[in-house]
Amino acid sequence: MTVAIVLSSALSALVLVLALMLPSIAGRTVPFGVRVPAQHADDPAVARQTRIYRRRVLLGGIAAAAVGVVIFALTGETLLLPLTVFLLVGVWYGCFFLAHHEIQAAKAAGRWYEGLRQGMAADTRLRTDPPRFPWLWLTPALIITVATAVIGAILYRSMPATLAVHYGAEGVPDRWAAKSVGAAFSLVFVQIGVTALLGAIAAGIVLRSRSDIDPAHPVASARWHRSYVALGAKALLGLVAMIDLGLLASSLVMWTATVTSWAPLVVVLPILAGVVVAVVVLARNNREPDRGEEDTGLTHRDDDKYWRGGLFYVNRDDHALWVPRRFGIGWTVNLGNPRAAIFLAGIGALIGLAVALRFPG
Amino acid sequence: VILNVDLGSDVPIYQQLRDQIVEAIADGVLIQGSPLPATRALAADFGINFHTVNKAYDLLRQQGLIRLNRGTGAVVTSTAADPAFRAEWTARARTLLAEAIVRGLPADDVLATCRSVLDSFRTAPPEDTP
Repeated sequence: MTVAIVLSSALSALVLVLALMLPSIAGRTVPFGVRVPAQHADDPAVARQTRIYRRRVLLGGIAAAAVGVVIFALTGETLLLPLTVFLLVGVWYGCFFLAHHEIQAAKAAGRWYEGLRQGMAADTRLRTDPPRFPWLWLTPALIITVATAVIGAILYRSMPATLAVHYGAEGVPDRWAAKSVGAAFSLVFVQIGVTALLGAIAAGIVLRSRSDIDPAHPVASARWHRSYVALGAKALLGLVAMIDLGLLASSLVMWTATVTSWAPLVVVLPILAGVVVAVVVLARNNREPDRGEEDTGLTHRDDDKYWRGGLFYVNRDDHALWVPRRFGIGWTVNLGNPRAAIFLAGIGALIGLAVALRFPG
Repeated sequence: VILNVDLGSDVPIYQQLRDQIVEAIADGVLIQGSPLPATRALAADFGINFHTVNKAYDLLRQQGLIRLNRGTGAVVTSTAADPAFRAEWTARARTLLAEAIVRGLPADDVLATCRSVLDSFRTAPPEDTP
């Protein structure tokens, strides 16, 4: 019981902090997912919406937490607690969308783009001499996965005849399976799947993500992109290692038939730590100073028409698969790209595998 | 090399890309053997249709300035000016100079501009070695 409360509170706090920080960490010229010219980035309308957004998020966060407490008090069901996290994300997006809508209206009414020279920029060196994939950062995840398999092979003979394959919220096993290679190594397969998928995403971000260079200061912008994608890939690979570590710990609990109410913690704590670090690292968005680079006189083109609700990017003419996200931090897929379907199918398959294996959590 | 596209310009995007690559070669930023991105990758960075980039690369290829590699992009090549190029270039220079004359620019100014533009090329250090 306590574990579930601690975990959902920690996750809710993380979401809330991220939501409150969002206006400061999002790109200056994309407040609440609306592309605005640099001279309007500090427009009174934007400042006003930022204030209103923060107040709404804070109130919404308190309301979501209260709903969680009431539901728990009425039902006593700990499995419902993670729902408050989803509720909070919903509230967050709602506040984001309201601000998005208002700024879009201010932008249209004030004709912010009138008379500006719109353009785009690209640095060919980002393609001909791309940032290196940080292979070294993949090794912890690989070592942990191999170590899990090796430890499992060593312990296999001494494992109990029935293995706990699913735990209730109290950390008490509630589903069992006869000992078999498939049951004992189920989490190793999840480790391999997660490592492959997130490793591929990290590689995709380094080699394929849209640079989205600011045409007003292309040189500094390209330099910043180069370091940010490397940072993003390292953060993701660090997260993979922490997920694999959580799965290793969970496998050990299963193999040694340990019964403790803190069992869910050994899985979720490393993952939570990995998520927190990744978020903190990726939050260093758009922080590159211009270093006196002369303004080219171009303004980033208004590409709002390709965004749905500031959330989904759909542009069939665009061959990029990964583009900088507008809601939250990191990257999102271009839903107008046929390869996005393949990618989403991969995610769906992995979630299906996890559900099928009923791994604890 | 940084490529800029001005959407408000009367010059088509493929022409803007082509012109900037030619200038980068003249500048010495791109030298013989310097790689250029694959058309799809460059189009993705701009968020434009790859046919636009294809058109720019095709112009450069026809003019003997790049060699296209299927799938992997393009490489800058150098082709000496032949008589046909000289004739075609002279015709274009003629139009450009005529524009200066009809708008009343003094001949000395025109010559000085030509000189300073010529001098500005080949001063930048190359970014890629072959």
